[in-house]
Order: sequence, then C-alpha cells, then structure tokens
Amino acid sequence: MEKLFQAVYSGILYGSVYGLMAIGLTLIWGALRMLNLAHGSLYLVGGYVAWTALNVLGLPMLPAFALGIIGAAIVGLLIQVLLINRILGRPEFFNAAMIATVGASIAIESAVLILFGARVKQMPPVISGQFKIGAVLISYQALVIIAAAAISFALLWLFLGKTRQGLAIQAVSQQMDAARLMGIPTVASFMIVMTISGALAGLAGVLLSSVFYLAPTAGFNPMIKALVVTIFGGLGSVKGTIWAAYAIGLMEAFLQVYFGAGAALPGLFLFMIIVLIIRPSGLFGLGEAQRL
Amino acid sequence: MMQDTAVQSSGTSTITRRLDLSAGPWATTNWIVLGIALLAMLALPWLVIQLSIGRFILHLLILFFVWSIVAQSWNLVMGVAGIFSFAQLALFGIGGATTGALALHLQWSPWVSLWLAPITATIAALIIGLPTLRLRGPYVVLLTLAFHELFRNFHTQGPTWIAGGGYGLRGVPKFGLEDMLGNDVGRIAYYYMAFVLFAIATYVIWRIFHSPIGVSFYALRDSETYAISRGVDPFRFKMLLFGLSAFFTGLAGGFYIHYNGNQSPAILSFSIMINLLAGIVLGGWGTFFGPILGTGIMTVLPELMREVENYRNLSIGVILALLAIFAARGLGPMIAAGVRTLSRAGRPAEPPPKGKEGEYAAKGRR
Repeated sequence: MEKLFQAVYSGILYGSVYGLMAIGLTLIWGALRMLNLAHGSLYLVGGYVAWTALNVLGLPMLPAFALGIIGAAIVGLLIQVLLINRILGRPEFFNAAMIATVGASIAIESAVLILFGARVKQMPPVISGQFKIGAVLISYQALVIIAAAAISFALLWLFLGKTRQGLAIQAVSQQMDAARLMGIPTVASFMIVMTISGALAGLAGVLLSSVFYLAPTAGFNPMIKALVVTIFGGLGSVKGTIWAAYAIGLMEAFLQVYFGAGAALPGLFLFMIIVLIIRPSGLFGLGEAQRL
Repeated sequence: MMQDTAVQSSGTSTITRRLDLSAGPWATTNWIVLGIALLAMLALPWLVIQLSIGRFILHLLILFFVWSIVAQSWNLVMGVAGIFSFAQLALFGIGGATTGALALHLQWSPWVSLWLAPITATIAALIIGLPTLRLRGPYVVLLTLAFHELFRNFHTQGPTWIAGGGYGLRGVPKFGLEDMLGNDVGRIAYYYMAFVLFAIATYVIWRIFHSPIGVSFYALRDSETYAISRGVDPFRFKMLLFGLSAFFTGLAGGFYIHYNGNQSPAILSFSIMINLLAGIVLGGWGTFFGPILGTGIMTVLPELMREVENYRNLSIGVILALLAIFAARGLGPMIAAGVRTLSRAGRPAEPPPKGKEGEYAAKGRR
C-alpha cells in the first residue's frame, strides 16, 4: 500500500514536469511541423539565469525565478527570429530546422559550460521542508511543482481556447495555408508559440533545478522524456500530451518502485516501441484532422 | 502488361527495364588519376612516419578512415534515403561490442570475430528497422534515439560481459600488428587495414549511389506517388539501405575496438554523435563526397583547436546553425560549384552537345 502511494505521488510529480517540457515541443510541432531539438537548452537557460539572479545578483527568490522564465522565453524567441524565421517555407525545412536547432542547442550548452564551468549547481527550493504520510516523504517543493504545472496547463488551456492569439495558433496548426488566407499573421503566431514553449521549459528548469542538479548537460534527459511524452500523446495534440505526461510519469514511477530504478528507462522505451507499432499516431493521437 | 506489349510492338524504341549500369559515372572515370591517388595513399604512411609526430598523424588518418566509413553510411541513411535515424552510433557500438566480447571473454582471435561485427550490426538494424521505417520523420527520430539510449544504458549498466561495471569493454585483444612488426611498421599496417576497409566501403557506397537503390531514392524524393506507382517499394528499399549502412558501420566498429583495445560507453556520447552529424552536414548531406570531406574537417579541426576546446563546441554549434540558414546543402556542393564556375571562366563557352538533344537544347536557348 505504501509502495502504491509512493508510486502515485512520484508519478504525478514526474508527470507535471514532463508535461511542462512536452507541451512546448508539441505546440511547436503543431504550429511549425518542426522538431525543436534545442528545447532542452531552454530548460538550461531557465535554470542558469535563475541561479545567477539568485546567487550572483542577490535577488530574492520570486523575481529570480521570474527572470529565469523570462530568459528562457527570450532565448526561445531569439531562436525563432534568428534561425527558424529565415528558413520558413523552404522545401528542406524539416532538415534545416533540425540542423539549426541542434546547432543552437550545442552552442547554448557550450556557452553555459564556458560561463559557469562543469561543476554542478543546485537551487534552493521555493518552500523547503517536508512532511510524512505513512512512510512516504512529501516535500513542499514537489507540491509547488505539481501546482505550478497544473496552473500552467489551465492557463494555456484558457489562452488557446479563449483569446484571439490562442485561436489564431489553433487555426495555424490546423491548416496553415487557410489560416494565412484568412489574414492570420502566421509568423507572429510562430513567435508566440516559441516564446510560450521557451517560458514553459524555463519554468521546468527553474523548478527542477532544486530537485535535480544543474549542469551543462542537464537539459538532455528532460528533453528525451518530453519527446517520449509527445510521441505517446500524438505530436501536435495538447490535450493528448498532458494526459500522456501523467500516464508516462505514473508508469515510470511504478516501474521504479516495483522493478528498481534501472528498469524505468528501458521499460519506457520498450513500451514506446510497442505503442508505435500498434498505433503509429500515438496512444492518444487524434490523427491529422484534429490537433490541439 | 498491355502497355508493355504496346511499346514493344511499336518496334522503333524499346524500353530497357533495368537500369543501364554502363552509363554510370564509372564510364567517365579517369582510372589513371584514381590509380595514382591510390598509389599515393599507399605510399603516404612511409613518408609520414619519417616525421617526429608521424605516428600521431597516422593515428589521425586511421581515425579519419574509421569515422568516415560511419559518416558515409549514416549519410546513406539520412541524406539519400531521408530516414532520420540516430541509431548509427549504437550500431557502431554493437559491432564493436560483438567482436570485443567474443575476443575478450571467449578468447576468439580478433581476425575471426571481426567478421561477426557487421553481421550482428546488420541484424540489429533490421530489427530496429522493422517497426521504425514504416513511420515518418519525427517518429523515426524519437524511436532511433530511444534505441540509442537503450543500448547506451545496456552498455553502461548491463551485465559485466559488456558493461564491465561502467567502464565498458577493457583490455580487448588488439590485432597484434605492433607486436609482430614493431611500433612504426605496425602503425603503418593498421593504416593499410583501415584504408582497405575505407576504400571498400567507399567504393560500395559510390556504386550504391548510382545503383537502382540510389536511383529509386531520387525518384521517391522527386515524386513519391509516381515512384511508388512505378513499383518502388519505399519500405523495402529503406530496409535494404538501412541494413547495408549498418553492415559497414558495424565493420568500422569492429575494427575500431581491436585498434583501440577498449570500448567505453563514452563512444555513445552525444558529443561524438554531434561531431559525426556536423561532419555530414558540413560536407554536404546527401552528396557522395560530402561526408568524407566533412569527416576530414572534423578530424583535423579538433586537433587545431585543442587549446580552446570549450570554444570548439561553441563554434561547431554556431557553424551548424549558420549552415542551416545559408548553405543547407553543405560545403561540398558549394566548393564543387565554385570549381565548376572557375574552370568554365578560363575556357570558351562549351559547344552545344551533338545530335538531336543538342538541337533541342539549342532551340530551347533561342
């Protein structure tokens, strides 16, 4: 029973984090049909900017965290403006975008290495302390992460469904040409999408750097997990991605609790391969027609 | 059927159904130049070894041969077939681990076990390919990355016969050339071995570029629907190419482990993958000479930038991003185009080609 509770608790925590990372990827895929392989480096930017604001500039915690999120959003926007906007509409867009984002991610990672060194850093939690339910330790930081993720998902839901810009993004990802013909500025929509996904990755980086360590290579793992989540959720579907994030988080936690930490990743990948054989459009995939 | 008979009965023109191999680029190749280049490559190590850093330069050349086999195979998969596979390094590692484990734990001779490396790599590729190659772009990226991570995980944390407690395979028997021939001549012998593997792989890949397989992929790229309707089965051709590229990659991995004497899981690190990818993109993705040129640059560049190692990765990243924007086809085609315009500038304008085609061309120009 305690094991079960532990697994559910960790699973929801993982799911929140994966969701924050994966939604950016899936939004970008939906709008631009591009695999943003620089997403992990946005996570890094969020973590390191917040760390610098906190420890070097001596800012209080909340402004420092806000700076981290803003920093990641700006870098995301810069990638869009400097790189992606210039290759939009080319026949080899998929290749070029992949190479450009890989390049950006290498550049950001090595810039972080040059600026901060390879030694790992850690952020303090937003609220320190923990309490016990049975034998399961629950930290306040974990509750903060879970709440922050849930609030972000709700805000994103409202933004996409209720605002003009959100509806424009939905239109662009459903049918780009038709959206453009209706007078929707597609490039502006892309820029908004990149900014949002940068901010979400930055938020994940800020919150997670107190749970895990912050190192120049720390962005890779969250990105891989986020990629797995987007696959399960069906690329381009926000609702599916959120469900998939929690499903994957729970599955990983159950594998860890019942089969040991080493079983989680292989188990996840094997499951992913099986899912893709049976359902090539993802577990919650809605097909091409219905996205977002 | 109807169409076939109709064409044949018209008599004047017959359709050759098979690709006319005698019209390939080998028809116009200057074999004398190629022979001289080959002799130069064979004589090169004896000159280089005279230098004080000769053994190190030979080592770099051997590395270049090994990695350019991998880059060429990867280019075959990525550039020619358009399969966004990130499993190439894992296949390299599988090749190395196969022969390494056999030689280390079962005391096989490396000369024998080496030949199992390409076979297991090919089998592994076919197993990955079966679920993967039916899918499209992003899914292929994710599945192959997942496979890479799985193998890396196995190599780091798996049973001792492969993971060695996180150190990988250590103390693997080498080919033993340096014991037989001494350090200098032994290194030259390794050079010859690597060169022969490189030459065979390059020749086969060159032929593949202009074989029915290669041409099918150009057809698929230009018009997928039409190519499929003409009987090109994308899945079958992709599997074939994926298997072929795995064969040479596995062979390179097998040679590499018996040259180094070890294979650490670090061989599967992201940075090595990036280096390879950068080489392919830099040289020209989807072209024949591109990956060779790119690997050459990526072998020499780190040595020149050894002092500023951190800035090396930074510049690789920036260069990749810039290439994607300004020269998505890579340096190779750019250089080739430059050479062509230069050589054309010196010569008077070419006469139009003779015969019917020439007439049409001339008319078109007017």
